Amino acid sequence: MKLIINGKEIVAQPGMTVLEAAKAGGIYIPSLCYHPRTGQAGKCRVCVVEVEGMRGLQVSCNLKVQDGMSVKTKTPQVLAAQKLVVDLLLATGKHDCIACESNGKCELQDAAYYLGIERAPFKYDDIHYAEGDKSAPFVRLDKDKCISCGRCVVACNNQVVNEVLDFAQRGYRTEIVCDDDKPMGDSSCVQCGECSQVCPVGAIVDVKSVGKARSWETKVVRTTCPYCGVGCQLDLHMKGDQIVQVTGTEEGSPNKGKLCVKGRYGYDFIYAEDRLTHPLIKENGEFRKASWDEAINLVASKFKEAIDKYGPDSVAGVSCARSINEDSYNMQKLFRGVFKTNNIDHCART
Amino acid sequence: MISTGATKKIESLMARYPKKESALMPALMIVQKENGNVLSKGDIEETAKLIGVTDAKAFGVATFYTMYNVKEKIGKYHLQVDTNIPATLAGAKKILAYIEKKLGIKAGQTTADGLFTLHEVECLASCGTCPVIQVNDTYYENLTVKKVDLLIESLKKGEMPDNKARSNWGSACNVLLKNRGVKDAAKLSVYKRKGGYKALEKALTMAPEAIVAEVKESGLKGRGGAGFPTGTKWGFLPKNNTNPVYLICNADEGEPGTYKDRQIMEYDPHLLIEGMAIAARALGSKLGFIYIRGEFDWIADILETAIEEAKKGGQLKEFDIIVHRGAGAYVCGEETALIESIEGKRGQPRMKPPFPAAQGLYGCPTIVNNVETFASVPFIIEKGAAEFKKFGPAESAGFRIFGISGNVKKPGAYEYPMGVSFNDLIAAAGGVDGDLKAAIVGGLSVAILKADELKDLNMDYASCAAKGTALGSGGVMVINDTWSIPELALRAMKFYAHESCGKCTPCKEGSKMTVRALQKIVSGQGTTEDLANVERLVGTIKGLTLCPVGEAFSVPIRAMVEKFRPEFEALIKH
Repeated sequence: MKLIINGKEIVAQPGMTVLEAAKAGGIYIPSLCYHPRTGQAGKCRVCVVEVEGMRGLQVSCNLKVQDGMSVKTKTPQVLAAQKLVVDLLLATGKHDCIACESNGKCELQDAAYYLGIERAPFKYDDIHYAEGDKSAPFVRLDKDKCISCGRCVVACNNQVVNEVLDFAQRGYRTEIVCDDDKPMGDSSCVQCGECSQVCPVGAIVDVKSVGKARSWETKVVRTTCPYCGVGCQLDLHMKGDQIVQVTGTEEGSPNKGKLCVKGRYGYDFIYAEDRLTHPLIKENGEFRKASWDEAINLVASKFKEAIDKYGPDSVAGVSCARSINEDSYNMQKLFRGVFKTNNIDHCART
Repeated sequence: MISTGATKKIESLMARYPKKESALMPALMIVQKENGNVLSKGDIEETAKLIGVTDAKAFGVATFYTMYNVKEKIGKYHLQVDTNIPATLAGAKKILAYIEKKLGIKAGQTTADGLFTLHEVECLASCGTCPVIQVNDTYYENLTVKKVDLLIESLKKGEMPDNKARSNWGSACNVLLKNRGVKDAAKLSVYKRKGGYKALEKALTMAPEAIVAEVKESGLKGRGGAGFPTGTKWGFLPKNNTNPVYLICNADEGEPGTYKDRQIMEYDPHLLIEGMAIAARALGSKLGFIYIRGEFDWIADILETAIEEAKKGGQLKEFDIIVHRGAGAYVCGEETALIESIEGKRGQPRMKPPFPAAQGLYGCPTIVNNVETFASVPFIIEKGAAEFKKFGPAESAGFRIFGISGNVKKPGAYEYPMGVSFNDLIAAAGGVDGDLKAAIVGGLSVAILKADELKDLNMDYASCAAKGTALGSGGVMVINDTWSIPELALRAMKFYAHESCGKCTPCKEGSKMTVRALQKIVSGQGTTEDLANVERLVGTIKGLTLCPVGEAFSVPIRAMVEKFRPEFEALIKH
């Protein structure tokens, strides 16, 4: 179906929202609380538009497209509403971009830039800021940067189902809490970092990445997580040849952006000084460096020797839980098809 | 610590609701009551475990509603002084100041001996009997300095004095307040003797569609405030639905200036129960809820007793009603927030669509109506839509309880046909005390009218709309010329900021920002920029929020600034 946004014809799929259709058609509508994985929340009220034939402002994240619909995203009324919302957020939060981790990838900053807001006009002296929660090893929470979009709460409860975060208090005092308002490090949080990944601003950030790179200095390399057989898709954020952050690939199966604490934060091992980078063969109690060919030939000959002497069932294979499914498949193929034994197992059985 | 007795009570509540999580709010209250009126984190964790929700959910709920005292020490007697607009107009601020002086503490503090905790609170729906103090669960109304002395002396001796208070009422229609002066009218036998439950009897012989048709034909509009046609709302239920249909009575009565629903529930509970039972028959509902504001604890007891009696008396054969107590949140008067609250959650409105008629409580089709709306149904069914329409003008059919408060000589609840003139209403309430300056005629959330706009005002939807205001909940606050409008605007705005649920940005931050700007103006420190900020905020927030609360404050504050601009400007530093 087709709709008109700001006079431009946009092709949309039935069931899409106006916000999604606009995005697909390359038209920016500021939006802060909607995220494809956490859904519509109707909370930030910044994605409003005007629609011909409809009274008042419409929230584009909760408005389904209709064929022939005419949408305007830049009328004076729309811009005034959006500007007020962003002004209010900027005035009531600690939104100083200079040293913020999210500078350059902040959705509030994008909205302010789009609306041409340099500084919020509201200045009242009862707005104070507190220290952030630095109690947890991998995730840092600064409630004064929080815009109460609720993405983290939905993600924690419905995406990864860790059920740690929720909103507490009410009105302008509303805040997110871990359990019954415990410091994150003392709470039941398992530090999966899902909240950090969906946070549109710099309220929840990855501790390990703080101060490592500005967003525009990094390039993204997609890879598969090496930790287990699930095969989660990772985006490695590289500054030069160093990983400065890992995020889950939003559109990548099977994890669709979600990661566990190991996949997201356990990437230091690749820089370990004692990491094996080539095969070692032990001779007379000492390891010596060997080539891959030499090592593989040695292992193959030992297998052959054992099978020749004692039969195929004298050998067995245990596939590593960190192998991806394809590797485990090849492992059992090797044992069953080549070694002719069914002695094949996987260490994740327990 | 949760005692074995409390655990049993909570477990039976969990079994009573269709979903056990709904028992969270009453459970927290039970636990608080048996632990010195305070909820510790340990208590919250234990309650969460018992109900089967996360600690964060339970903590989020406990800190959302004001009646839960989380972490805070509360004295043996919790003095809660209502200072909202109707109370302020009745002199509540003087009462508060007097208590502060007498006890030597400020609002928000506890006396050193741990006997008294004093709080300034929002509208307790005692608008016609203000000033009011809620001491723990008990209301003390019509207070004077002298009565405060007696109250505090008595409490110091460990005695809660009798709380009987005189209240004014009158009825020109004899429907909703028919039994108001009748002794023991809350009893089933008395209600039946006065002709009660005849409409239900008739309804049970009617086809459900015929009941809906009759209500539609009557032109009855929702009495909660929005004035949506009741029959039309009932018609929104999906056809061929296989899910349970839930019926909810909105008895949250939180709109400042409004105290009409309590007149029905306290003095004639069976009228409401009969109305709900007829609606249940019409809509095919087997289970209903009365969501009553938590402060009305004694009225909730009256309702529960009446429901039990009605059940035993065979009036509720195929329909059951659960009384669900709120815990201090104005926003729960909004129907989707109310539904969330019954589900045991923070009372935050949902995005619409879907509307409750399609997907409401527990995801099932749900109809939410106000107390007075349900209470009007028995008349319509028994006497017919035509009789109902004889009251009031065509587009505003029926009768209504108007709550008159503020600067009148006999504030009270008066039942009149719709369309009664403002002047007649005020005359019924004893006339204006002093010189009339302005009035807010539909609960606090509508535009204020100046004295000259009130002269020819009739109390119906069209007449109010023509004056740029709304009939709303029928709560009329009369303001004489001793009051400063900027001060009332600030007090009103503090209420909305206190009650904003915090879900959407314009209301959450905008309400507080408007308070800040008004505060600066009222304190004499304001500039033209602050007044411009107020105007920008209320001008832009209208229509931008997730639920009607944004409109509820932007409309009245905007009207106050527009109509009384010189008073605001006079406070501004040049």
